[in-house]
Amino acid sequence: MEFRFTSEEEKLTKEVHEFMERERTPELLAETLELGAIYGGPEGRKICQKMGARGWLCPAWPREHGGLGTSEMIKLMILDDMAYMGLPFLFGGASMAGPAILRHGSEELKKEFLPRIAQGEVEFALGYTEPQAGSDLAALELRAEDKGDYFLLNGQKMFNTHCHVADYHYLAVRTDPDAPKHRGISMMVVDLDSPGITIRPLTTMASWRTNEVFYDDVEVPKRNLVGELNRGFRYVMTALDFERMVTIGMFRRLFDELVDYAKETKVDGKALGKNPLVRQKLAEMAIELEAARLLYYNLGYVLDRGEAATFHSSMEKLFACEVAQRVVRVGMQMVGAYGQLQQDSKWAPLQGELEFQYRWSFLHTIAGGTSEIQRNIIALRGLGLPTPTA
Amino acid sequence: MNFGLSEGQRMLKQTARDFLTAECPSSLVKEMATDDKGYSPELWRKMAELGWMGLAFPQEYGGTGGSFLDLAVLLEEMGHACLPGPFFSTVVLGGMTILELGDEKQKRELLPLIAKGELIITLALTEPGSSYSASEMMAEAIADGDNYIISGTKLFVPDAHIADYIICVAKTAQGAILFMVDGRNPGISCSLLKTIASDKQCEVVFDKVKVPEESVLGDLDQGWIQLQSILRRAAIAKCAEMVGGAQQVLEMTVDYVKQRVQFGQPIGAFQAVQHHCANMATDVETSKFITYQAAWRLSEGLPCNQEVAMAKAWVSDAYKRVTLLGHQCIGGVGFMEDHDLPLYSKQAMGAETAFGDADFHREVVAQELGL
Repeated sequence: MEFRFTSEEEKLTKEVHEFMERERTPELLAETLELGAIYGGPEGRKICQKMGARGWLCPAWPREHGGLGTSEMIKLMILDDMAYMGLPFLFGGASMAGPAILRHGSEELKKEFLPRIAQGEVEFALGYTEPQAGSDLAALELRAEDKGDYFLLNGQKMFNTHCHVADYHYLAVRTDPDAPKHRGISMMVVDLDSPGITIRPLTTMASWRTNEVFYDDVEVPKRNLVGELNRGFRYVMTALDFERMVTIGMFRRLFDELVDYAKETKVDGKALGKNPLVRQKLAEMAIELEAARLLYYNLGYVLDRGEAATFHSSMEKLFACEVAQRVVRVGMQMVGAYGQLQQDSKWAPLQGELEFQYRWSFLHTIAGGTSEIQRNIIALRGLGLPTPTA
Repeated sequence: MNFGLSEGQRMLKQTARDFLTAECPSSLVKEMATDDKGYSPELWRKMAELGWMGLAFPQEYGGTGGSFLDLAVLLEEMGHACLPGPFFSTVVLGGMTILELGDEKQKRELLPLIAKGELIITLALTEPGSSYSASEMMAEAIADGDNYIISGTKLFVPDAHIADYIICVAKTAQGAILFMVDGRNPGISCSLLKTIASDKQCEVVFDKVKVPEESVLGDLDQGWIQLQSILRRAAIAKCAEMVGGAQQVLEMTVDYVKQRVQFGQPIGAFQAVQHHCANMATDVETSKFITYQAAWRLSEGLPCNQEVAMAKAWVSDAYKRVTLLGHQCIGGVGFMEDHDLPLYSKQAMGAETAFGDADFHREVVAQELGL
């Protein structure tokens, strides 16, 4: 057992940290929150491309693909610090499409996309969810017909956050409508500039944008198929194990600000931080953030041993997202009536971030696999509990 | 970061698991609940033969030279088996305290005897009016020539009634001092408290107990700091036990829900039950990591005030939650006195308040945050 990082790990992450410290701007921080932390906005691209040029976006990839050949642990450390420092930390390319192409893509696809993903030059939007396929992803219907040297796509995607700032769609499509649901799905890379794609904005209650996307007779070259035909569902499941490695860095940063706020703010003549209830609640959050940090880095340990993350990442995602919600709620409780004040309002504490984070917090236990699904996975794959029979 | 056990620790864990499964069945645990001494001398002897008491003592003092982390691994297995008896008191409160604070003479005299299983030791700290605060402590030690005279009442002292030595914390003009008091001193009266976990905690009354100067443990003017160190170690050792207990409750629950059939299938197939089990598993996993991080830091001699407080606060609540959900899943049969689950629910309650409960340790964390 060893609960500290190696000097090699510390050296690299220190370098990355100092870079972010120098390069981040107020515009970047604002953009990150405005976009809901997804990569693809102009400010995010500026700083992340510089990081990508140094191999810091996909450090665990082999050098030939734009990485540094480091451990997964280092990748997790960097991502966590990016989130803490206010950079975007939700990457469709680096975290999802990239690893899938690396594992299952043809040499041609790898050459075309991996270096550009690692350098932050291109971003992917995830194309899984449809109106009738959320938790039950296998129910997706977007049809890809085999037309010889291309596929013809028709259908609709829902809640495809990223499409409005991304270059490519990492799309889950139905290639065999006659097979059992989960055996007829394939993964494809689609250029979002392709004719026939309509992206329509949806505004979330957190004010940031997601999208519904319509595919009308969109032609996708055969070479854009990732891996084998009709094996896509399996790839999606593996990718979700990675997506679920959520960093709680943004909430550690928020927590640190709440602690400072408690030290500096007086209510009824006494510093908030001297109120026993505030002390208990902030301490509770510090403890939960620490527990979440350990679950997060355990993922690095598991992956670097060559083991699959499966229920470990479900547990980490489940716990981290619920802690995130609690941190926000404790913040709201602590500031009282001021918590309702929005960003541009006079008297808003922490630049109105609490109000914004509160509106966002409802999503954390839904996106990336609901807490209910995560608990199912822990029970079924972690504890070996049986599936229900009809 | 390495979250795995060393080869030696894995072997220790497996040996302990096998040994305790055979030698400490739940029937023994239940038997000891009504036994006055609270432990089986036969089992105690076997544990000594395995080198368990001296696991974390250096070889020069009769131990096997293991680390505190190794001891934590062993304590986890003891918690898993709900092992009754004075091991925790003797080794964690007694032996490790003497190892840290004793002078050469005390260490050479006492540690080998502890390692051989020939001594039982405990620590008397808490009082009716004060838990861990120096200012409110009432037990006094008045200097009298080459001796001290100790008077006061201590509560929740584990295994005091069978202890050969009681390390008593008493206040002097200089602050808190630790005294190794012979348990047979006529001025001491112990009475067993009736506790939920039947874990032999005592009220100990010191009535003008005369002890020689040599019985002082540690530095005369470092009392409070020394006490903090003892409490940190005890708290995290208790967490290790709790992690083991919580793990057992999870295992017990998963086994049950896989077998119990209702509505034509095992209840483990129902989502409500699955979600309870997932919550339990998450509590066990986080408890394990947060405990071992603190135990590792303590073992390495790194500052660990915050990590220990975080662990004890978290595990105190988490173990309780695990037992609550365990009961919820195991239903009516788990509520029966002869079921094994109540052993753990009761253990959880006792452990929660030992060496600082969750609120106490959250306040420590608040202080560490600079609030």
